[in-house]
Amino acid sequence: MGLTGRIVSFTKVHVPPEGFTDQAPYVVAIAKLENGRGCIGQLVDYKEDQLAIDQKIKTVLRRTRDPGLEGVIPYGIKFKPI
Amino acid sequence: MNVNILGAATTKFGELWHLSPRDLVRTAVSEVLSSSGLKAADLEAVFVGNMLSSSLGGQDHLGALFAEELGIKGAAMKVEGACASGGLAIHAGVLAILGGLYETVLVVGVEKMTDHKPEEVAKMLMGAGSDPEREAGATFPGLYALIARAHMEKYGTSEEQMAYVAVKNHFHASLNSHAQFTCPVTLEKVVKSPVVASPLKLLDCSPITDGAAAVILSAKGKGGKKVSIVASAVATDTLGLAERKDLTTLKATVAAAKKAYEMADVTPGDIDVAEVHDCFTIAEIIAMEDLGFFEKGKAAQAIWEGKTRLGSGHPVVNTSGGLKASGHPVGATGVKQIVEIYNQLKGTAGKKQVEGAKIGLAHNVGGSGATAVVHILK
Repeated sequence: MGLTGRIVSFTKVHVPPEGFTDQAPYVVAIAKLENGRGCIGQLVDYKEDQLAIDQKIKTVLRRTRDPGLEGVIPYGIKFKPI
Repeated sequence: MNVNILGAATTKFGELWHLSPRDLVRTAVSEVLSSSGLKAADLEAVFVGNMLSSSLGGQDHLGALFAEELGIKGAAMKVEGACASGGLAIHAGVLAILGGLYETVLVVGVEKMTDHKPEEVAKMLMGAGSDPEREAGATFPGLYALIARAHMEKYGTSEEQMAYVAVKNHFHASLNSHAQFTCPVTLEKVVKSPVVASPLKLLDCSPITDGAAAVILSAKGKGGKKVSIVASAVATDTLGLAERKDLTTLKATVAAAKKAYEMADVTPGDIDVAEVHDCFTIAEIIAMEDLGFFEKGKAAQAIWEGKTRLGSGHPVVNTSGGLKASGHPVGATGVKQIVEIYNQLKGTAGKKQVEGAKIGLAHNVGGSGATAVVHILK
């Protein structure tokens, strides 16, 4: 949580799978974090010109998939440009 | 090693709504039995390559299912490695024969995908990736799009160069009556197709397909021109893309290819014809580099110049049309690749025949490169 990193690659997904149908299009990115590890997650709260390799980001906790029938809301890591 | 291929056949690939997995397998297997002159009783084991029967069809236990369907009395099992399931099933057949416990075995690859909604298929295909990838909504086009963007950034590979892979493979498929798409496509049509996961567009992506392929492997030979497997190598890499050091190469392909070339005592330059895993156009470009056919960063331009195309290239790549144009029934693909190379080396590839092909290679990948299987045939 709250780690900084840089975007290694990104894509805008236009065709979503089940569970993400109302979020499309959304951006998925791989970031290399300050602890040296690579991490995959959606990019949120971004401006179009921040969709770039090497853009600095920080990790945040956000809702991920649709809750589905069980109603338990899943949370996970996403990235926010800084 | 020397494992003989006694027969090899595929069904038509496509949206085959009227054909069940049993129908598909029966069709492919009856063709290999009749062309090899063998009977079900001669088959001592069956290895079934398949990924999605459980998640899409609710059916596990495919070994027993097809052993019953085909009247095979020996060992039977499913082999799974995502999109490399077919190649791994061939590897299992090779191991069975080299181990000496079985003399003649059947390898069959089958997938039934077109009965389901695209969103459902996309979700189940994500089973080939990692948990964080599923949580991020990273579909397979999304993962290969991440790879594509990294390759474009590092080597200047362009969208047009990627699109040309689809153009070439559709041209090859127009000569393949079993291909899903026998229509040629223009570069403009590919580049202007709708974006699936940027920068990959619809026509950069292999389709959803039904189909089956079958191969009979044996320690025994057959009369006439012999075609055999002289190398069978498997390697793995991290399940998830984020854990990789370099997105522009598939280490598993490099490792499996190195082992295979050593086993067969050949170099990339000796390969006349190759079936490589073009699940997305960028995947073929990277495969050309990882398999040692072109230097890193140089494959896209070489493909663009026709260096892998029927009539002008060496090696000629994806004469079947590849995954893109002949279709990608996931579990069947790795077996179909062996069928295509077998036909090329036997001289029975028809209109897509590579003249004088003597040595062939098949390259099958699982997930975003977590598994790679390379076979060399002579």
